[in-house]
Amino acid sequence: MDSGYGILNTFAPCLLQSIWSSIIWRFCMGVFWYSLRLLLRVVHIGQDLTHTIFCYSISNGLINKYKNLDLHNLRCLAVVIDSEDAKNIGKIKKLLHSLSKIGAMNVILYDTKGVLKKYMASSKLFCNAKTTCFDADRRTVTLILHGDQITIEFLSFSDNKEIISKAANFLCSRQLKSNLLAPHKIEPVFTDTDLLNALKMAGCGGLHPDLLLVYGPARCHLGFPAWRLRYTEIIYDHEFNFRYMGPLKSMKHGAIVKAVYDFSNRNKN
Amino acid sequence: MAMPSSGCLFFSSSPATLLLRPALPRLSLPTRRPPRPRQHISLHRRATHQGKPPGTNPAAASSQSSPATHETLTDELKWEEALPSCLLRESLPRHVAIIMDGNSRWARDKGLPVSAGHEAGYRSLKEIIRLSCLWGIRALTVFAFSSENWFRPKAEVDFLMTLFQGVLTENFDIFVREGIKVRIIGDSAKLPKPLQQLAKEIQDVTVNKTRFELIVAVSYSGRQDIVLACQKIAQKVKDRLLEPDEITESLFAQELETNHSQDFPYPDLLIRTSGELRLSNFLLWQSAYSELYFTKSNWPDFGEADYIEALQSFQRRQRRFGQRIS
Repeated sequence: MDSGYGILNTFAPCLLQSIWSSIIWRFCMGVFWYSLRLLLRVVHIGQDLTHTIFCYSISNGLINKYKNLDLHNLRCLAVVIDSEDAKNIGKIKKLLHSLSKIGAMNVILYDTKGVLKKYMASSKLFCNAKTTCFDADRRTVTLILHGDQITIEFLSFSDNKEIISKAANFLCSRQLKSNLLAPHKIEPVFTDTDLLNALKMAGCGGLHPDLLLVYGPARCHLGFPAWRLRYTEIIYDHEFNFRYMGPLKSMKHGAIVKAVYDFSNRNKN
Repeated sequence: MAMPSSGCLFFSSSPATLLLRPALPRLSLPTRRPPRPRQHISLHRRATHQGKPPGTNPAAASSQSSPATHETLTDELKWEEALPSCLLRESLPRHVAIIMDGNSRWARDKGLPVSAGHEAGYRSLKEIIRLSCLWGIRALTVFAFSSENWFRPKAEVDFLMTLFQGVLTENFDIFVREGIKVRIIGDSAKLPKPLQQLAKEIQDVTVNKTRFELIVAVSYSGRQDIVLACQKIAQKVKDRLLEPDEITESLFAQELETNHSQDFPYPDLLIRTSGELRLSNFLLWQSAYSELYFTKSNWPDFGEADYIEALQSFQRRQRRFGQRIS
């Protein structure tokens, strides 16, 4: 028993010392870790502030090179919006005003679930516009914003794979009819033009966007019509800094101007 | 003034906004791993083969490798230890697609001929295949040559065809030994006859391999993929196997060239190098919900660090497939 107490008395100070060392070490590591996180937050805030000030400067014409955009390469601009964000009519109107101000004449608005199509049908988006003109399928509308004419096409996921299937249906039906007339014809051969014409017949033969802006939490085009995306430039992040167009609520006119400017200065490959 | 979007301790306008702000990415200090022996996939022809690919017997191909040079990817490493600590195995993409762009620009920047860029690109591809196998990614689709690339200078096109043939020949036994299923998609009719035969042979030999799938898009066009699917369906309709009204989205998808990968037909992550922000007619149908990752690195410079960054970026994102997760 005495030897036990002796051993304990011998080792107790060392044990206490190691416990305190461990506690102090953990405390120091914890402080270091949280300091690092704080530093990272400060850096992120700084980056966001810089981005906001930069966009504000562009919007107010303070940076000369963004004042006159060369849009000869931009025949059509498309915007992909998350379906939940698409319910924010105010933001959609603001987006359309921005695009009109930039000078985009042909715009495609896409959301997966077709929320924007419903707004188009109910004319909720155009009550303040001067002139509205709907096409026969009520898929496209032409209106005047800020004195400029802008044509807007509304698309959803049903205009992607479903339309291609319908186009295939059309081509196959036509092929079947021609086979009845010429039974010894060998096998069907289709070209890009055949499918393009079939897509027009199926109701999705609009312009192919040169530039696609994506507003959403993920960097994904969310099923934008595949046929139209062949050489479309997709903008998520114009600075490759993991800051992308982001959700629609954080949309800035200056960011759109910069995206269009960067597009117009980029070489096609 | 608009509030910054990142989390902020000092300038919050209300407690509610803190809840709405996206969280900072999780930081994880990389753990120090013991140095591991470099797994070398030998891509030089073995002396025993003398330029001929092994015969159609995969067992013969394996046995021809001498013990001194036979190296498998998982010889000395445990599967769990191979993955970098900053990546989570459960949220790795199963299928990665890569547009390998920037070989010519890389060569031009270094003052080298274009052929050197393509050869450097091949070395990068080797490394990415090795890493993909090592980390448990199940399928890799690479865009090697598009249908538009036929318009490049003839010398460059001829060099590329020779390079493809050389690559397939040199790696034939490695694909067989490592259980890599190889598929070549695209308009193979335009390829030189020897390359067509070699492509067919390698696909036939590796058809039952299941460990990893390598899909190489050569002379490929996303639009042509869709058109050919239409043709196949039209043929079925002509043969009375199908009615036009029965054509659905899923039926259409089955006729695409990538559908042969039954388990992972659609890529989870699509990477494009060289700073270009386009799909350039690659996997147009299949990439509907693929996460897109664009990097400024040219393809020959795209290495392990860049790959990890792309995979980390994938893991950070919230993939919702168009739905809202509550």
